[in-house]
Amino acid sequence: MNIQFKKGVLELCVLSMLGRRNCYGYQLVNEISKNILISEGTIYPLLRRLKSEGFVTTYLEESTEGPPRKYYKLTSLGLKKEEALKSEWFSFAENVNNFLKGSNM
Amino acid sequence: MNKKGYILKLSELIHDLPKEEKEDILFDYEEHFRIGLEKGRKEEEIAISLGNPKTIARQIRAESMIKEAEKTTSANNIIRAIFAAVGLGFFNLIIVLGPAIGLVGLLIGLFAAALSITVSGGAILFVSIFGPVLEWGMYIPLAPIVSIPLGIGLIAIGLLFIIGVFYLSKIFYGLSVSYLKMNLQIITNRRNK
Repeated sequence: MNIQFKKGVLELCVLSMLGRRNCYGYQLVNEISKNILISEGTIYPLLRRLKSEGFVTTYLEESTEGPPRKYYKLTSLGLKKEEALKSEWFSFAENVNNFLKGSNM
Repeated sequence: MNKKGYILKLSELIHDLPKEEKEDILFDYEEHFRIGLEKGRKEEEIAISLGNPKTIARQIRAESMIKEAEKTTSANNIIRAIFAAVGLGFFNLIIVLGPAIGLVGLLIGLFAAALSITVSGGAILFVSIFGPVLEWGMYIPLAPIVSIPLGIGLIAIGLLFIIGVFYLSKIFYGLSVSYLKMNLQIITNRRNK
């Protein structure tokens, strides 16, 4: 798959998952890699970038299974970004679908 | 590779990052291993699906250096960012290096010119006021009514010129940082394949 494309999609998937609920890193990696083939280690640098750009924040939360885990939470800026990327994706996907079906020709 | 080997390898590859940032990064990967083990996966299996530590380190390093250069303006930071980018296979840079050095030379030249205008204005002003008093054999072949405003004018023009050069340098610095960022994006995309 086109790499530029995949990278943008990865960011969208992370933001969208965090839009539904706060997650720890492993959870994000696990859910996303179920659906998309990725090199799992690259999600952490992505999360660091999202944090430094102010789209997510982190906090520690106790876990029943062991030591506390680092959770990621969407900021209001991140929520806006998620909505913008999502609508961009839907209109893009719709256009591509229409094109492939030939209804635009 | 097991957990210990993977973390050690990664920490060696990012050893020159600020201590806090390094610990933060390693914490993420350690946690990833820990939770994976809790879910019943094997260390080697987790290491493989994380991917090559070299690829991860390259991505982290280049992003960190460029961020640093963006945050605190210094020649040292921009040079570090350039080297990190070159490490990523950023050969594009070699093509722009010539013009970039030329531009830096131009900025230095402009600064020198601005400084000499200011200094000469100062000298004219000084000599027109104190020349006759000090008897150092310096004189201006102009009446003080002309040479004093001339000196002040030259100082003002020189200072404005210096400010202009300062802003030009800032713009140039900003452009260099965004150029590096753009290239970083192209390269990390290619590496993620």
